[in-house]
Amino acid sequence: MAEQLNIRDISFASLNKQQLLRNTRGDKYIWGIVILLALTSLLVVYSATGSLAYKMYKGNTEVYLFKQLSFIVIGFLVIYFLHRINYTLYSRVATVLFLISIPLLLYTWLFGAEINEGSRWIKLPVINLTMQTSDLAKLALFMYISKMLSKKQEVIKDFKKGFLPIITPVIVICGLIAPANLSTALLTGATSLMLMFIGRVSMKHITLAIIVALIPVAMLVSVAVMTYNKEEGKSTITKAVAAGRIPTWIKRVQDFMYAKDETVPYQVQQAKIAIANGGLFMGKGPGNSTQRNFLPHPYSDFIYAIIIEEYGLAGGAFIIFIYLLFLFRCINIFKRCPYAFGAFLALGLSFTLAIQAIANMAVNVNLTPVTGVTLPLISMGGTSFLFTCAAIGIILSVARNVEQLEGKEPVPQPVVNNSEAS
Amino acid sequence: MDVKKDILWRVYLCFIAMVLICAVIFGKAFYIQQVQGQHWRSLGDTLHLRWEEVEAERGTIFSEDGQMLSTSIPQFDIYIDFAADGLREKSGKRFRENIDSLSLGLAALFKDKSADEYKRLLNKGYKEKSRYFSLKKKISYREYQKMLKLPLVREGRNKSGFIADVKSIRLNPYQMLAYRTIGLDRENAQKIGLEQTYDAVLRGTTGKRMVRFIAGGVAIPVDEDDANAIDPQNGKDIITTLDMHMQEITENALMKMMVGNEAVHGCAIVMEVKTGKIKAIANLGRRPDGSYFEDFNYALTPTEPGSTFKLATLIAALEDKKVNLNNTVNIEGGSWQYAGRTVWDSEQHGLYQVTVKKAFEESSNVGMAKLVVNGYGNTPSQFINHLKKLKLDETTGVDLVGERKPVIYKPGSKYWSATTLPWMSFGYNLMVTPMHTAMLYNAVANNGKMLKPYLVNTVVEKGKVVKQIEPVVVNEKICSEETLKQLNECLRGVCTEGTATSLFKKAPYTVAGKTGTALVADGNRGYADKIYQSSFAGFFPAENPQYTIVVVVKNKPHAAKFYGAAVAGPVFKEISDRLYTLYVKQNDTYYTATSQKDTGWFQYAGNTNEVKQVFSKLKMNYATPAKETDVVSVISQNGKAALYNINVTQKQMPSLKGLALKDAVAICENIGLKVAVNGRGKVINQSVQAGSSIAKGQMITIEFK
Repeated sequence: MAEQLNIRDISFASLNKQQLLRNTRGDKYIWGIVILLALTSLLVVYSATGSLAYKMYKGNTEVYLFKQLSFIVIGFLVIYFLHRINYTLYSRVATVLFLISIPLLLYTWLFGAEINEGSRWIKLPVINLTMQTSDLAKLALFMYISKMLSKKQEVIKDFKKGFLPIITPVIVICGLIAPANLSTALLTGATSLMLMFIGRVSMKHITLAIIVALIPVAMLVSVAVMTYNKEEGKSTITKAVAAGRIPTWIKRVQDFMYAKDETVPYQVQQAKIAIANGGLFMGKGPGNSTQRNFLPHPYSDFIYAIIIEEYGLAGGAFIIFIYLLFLFRCINIFKRCPYAFGAFLALGLSFTLAIQAIANMAVNVNLTPVTGVTLPLISMGGTSFLFTCAAIGIILSVARNVEQLEGKEPVPQPVVNNSEAS
Repeated sequence: MDVKKDILWRVYLCFIAMVLICAVIFGKAFYIQQVQGQHWRSLGDTLHLRWEEVEAERGTIFSEDGQMLSTSIPQFDIYIDFAADGLREKSGKRFRENIDSLSLGLAALFKDKSADEYKRLLNKGYKEKSRYFSLKKKISYREYQKMLKLPLVREGRNKSGFIADVKSIRLNPYQMLAYRTIGLDRENAQKIGLEQTYDAVLRGTTGKRMVRFIAGGVAIPVDEDDANAIDPQNGKDIITTLDMHMQEITENALMKMMVGNEAVHGCAIVMEVKTGKIKAIANLGRRPDGSYFEDFNYALTPTEPGSTFKLATLIAALEDKKVNLNNTVNIEGGSWQYAGRTVWDSEQHGLYQVTVKKAFEESSNVGMAKLVVNGYGNTPSQFINHLKKLKLDETTGVDLVGERKPVIYKPGSKYWSATTLPWMSFGYNLMVTPMHTAMLYNAVANNGKMLKPYLVNTVVEKGKVVKQIEPVVVNEKICSEETLKQLNECLRGVCTEGTATSLFKKAPYTVAGKTGTALVADGNRGYADKIYQSSFAGFFPAENPQYTIVVVVKNKPHAAKFYGAAVAGPVFKEISDRLYTLYVKQNDTYYTATSQKDTGWFQYAGNTNEVKQVFSKLKMNYATPAKETDVVSVISQNGKAALYNINVTQKQMPSLKGLALKDAVAICENIGLKVAVNGRGKVINQSVQAGSSIAKGQMITIEFK
């Protein structure tokens, strides 16, 4: 009976507005934050796609406005659906998704479409969207880690029983992402390690994992240093030395390490100009960015610089605050959630999003080398936007259950008279 | 619960770490903006802001009769960026799919290469991955518009790689007519002609504005009301004195003679007597392939003028009363030894004792030489002073760059010899331009008032006259009235009793002029090649001069025809004939029949409804046919207005008389005629007469008055 009711719940049995609102549950703050970020994304993406629209649609900028709007609408539908599902279902989903993502990553690596050099994308049939498989893999991995952390709490300090079952999927996924997208792999790995730290995995084991992970990074940096000709300020790396995307990585490390004012990479330079263009409290105003014309990917990777340019440092600070508030609210859910899986799910997914946001912002202000990380919920659409929405939907599902347990939402009662309800 | 607490402090630790990182991010942004801000902002400006020159539109050169002589039009050079992404994606799918149809289209459009050749060309460029492959240069706006519709090209710049480089070039719609005078405004080369003389006026001033580069290489002005921006000032237009109709007559007349006689080069000048305006000026030079082109400003190049210069000699002698026309002079049968050289007349005429007038009419070099030797043999400076007074020793000052100074030797100079003076008397040992000759003859025609020749009437800015150029008097009176009368008599005599008699025998007007046949030195070969410069200078109608015409033709070596009267004379006559019928005759004698006008009679025509409206407004009665056509004519009938149908059919030309422009054109176009109109007012004449059968597409010229 309960199973049946659940299905009725999610399947828009009635599109009645009141019912829709009544059925929208979970943390109100998080809903607010999501709406706020989506609105920001509409404004900034509309402004930032001007140049892209010029190139692709002869200046018809509304194309991207409506594209983004439709992504937001679909994203909200995703959130709504996922938050209506009982989160315990995600325990099973996590394993399935994780298992699916491995062959998908392999396929992408070998046959994927190349956008910006790295082969990170596959083309989805029917809906004709390109999808970055690492987005799916990341979501699957964090769900899976949350599941494992909750399951293994009893034996968490044990290397074989606790540590290995958790670290293995991390290594597999990161290893598969790395060839195409090293920065995402590193970020995913770091986030996983942080989750493991939170999940009480032994510090010894974590340190060990970090050391092992640092070996390839150290190798990369040392190659970068060795192949850098300081007098000419040029990289001497050739295809013979390294194959695939390795030269790009080395180049980026070099760019970051040896950046002088004149030789800063173009994107960094343009991002800094964008930040400098905005004021302390007042930026250039919505839609008045000039750097959007020069900054590569102003609507995704470098959207934070555009935000500061248009809305000032205050606007930038506000975005930071919003993400921290989001994280804080999720911690609140974690505290209230009595079940380990739900608690870890809320924590894992929220930290991932926050870390991704921070990574994007750090790139924009040139704290870290340039990587292609989007600003969650703000950067222009695409599948990563939808996966972010999925993560938020799952978090809200946990929140809804917490509320249910705390008695804020009545546990659904069997409907006595079916005809009356419909 | 213990586990949860253990987790919670870890969560908070991580959260605090995140907050700290966020603080660092904010700090870094603050640092970039507030500390380094100035540096980045100025870098941004230097990267994306440029001062851009805004070209001023060059003014147009008009003829006096309002024709466009030189104007700016856009011209396109077409390049292809074969590395364009859209062209190369999917290993050149788009290129391969379109190349055949594109080649066909290009071949059909430009007609300069076959489709195969175009295909080969495109393939070559594609293989070379050329980023700036020159496909075709100098195509017109019309061709460019057509090209944009071709396959591939219509997909836009990003996909086709087609790039158009726009330039503004000068177009001379009349092509060769007065080409040298109008001049050229070329890229990478010296300007010439009026384009150069009035460059400062035509050019305008280039403006400046700050632009910001945005996507797609497009630059947008930064600030509309930027104080530092300078608006371009478009060039002013100039209206020349040239009349394209006269120019055409002049150029054609000269051309005909040049071609017939295979002459080396020649020029013809038509000057308006009363003002000194140059109405037409033709300069033709023979090119290696035997064709002729306006290649050099011969009218402004000094040469030995030959016999036309005898007028100056006569002016001096008559002014100084050295002789009068009835004095006799022995012209020695045509040759005379003087100071060890022989003066030859161009014809062996066998005459001896003749009057001075006759000597001039027969163009006797001996006669003229004797005149100056006798008159000025001891005082050559007195003769030279006369030439100075006639302004023959300095440039005419015509408003055209490139005029060279004439050469008049002075007594005592190292070029001065015993024979200089007598040879000067018949136009040797000195050099003046045809323009000088024109100015001199024009002064005689203009009652002794010498005017500066000029080419530009007015300078116009946005349709408003900003500068009106008036005739400039160089010498109020070059000689006494008495002398003038005698000069006129002599010049007329040349055309009635002298060397040009046969030429003007049948002319309905009188001409006062002088022939000239000069043997020209040909570089270091001297006079051996028998190259003659034939000339004719004069004005007409002699009793009321309107136009002065000077024709100078340099013949080929050993040309069969070389006498002034035989080569330059006919050119003069052809021009004067046409000018007489077109411009002089009416002004000359206007015999209008002054008949009493019947004020009661009228005839109008117009749109039926509009005509009726007028009548009803005026409360007039009118008779109307049973069934009215769209257009009617209104004719007075016994003092009353009556409407008559104008039947318009596709087969017969209706009468347009009395119609206004709007109705006349509407009717003509409805029956498929092509219309040209003249004048304004109501139709008074139609080139296709009423009642004649018509064909679709036929031309009709309608005159309005």
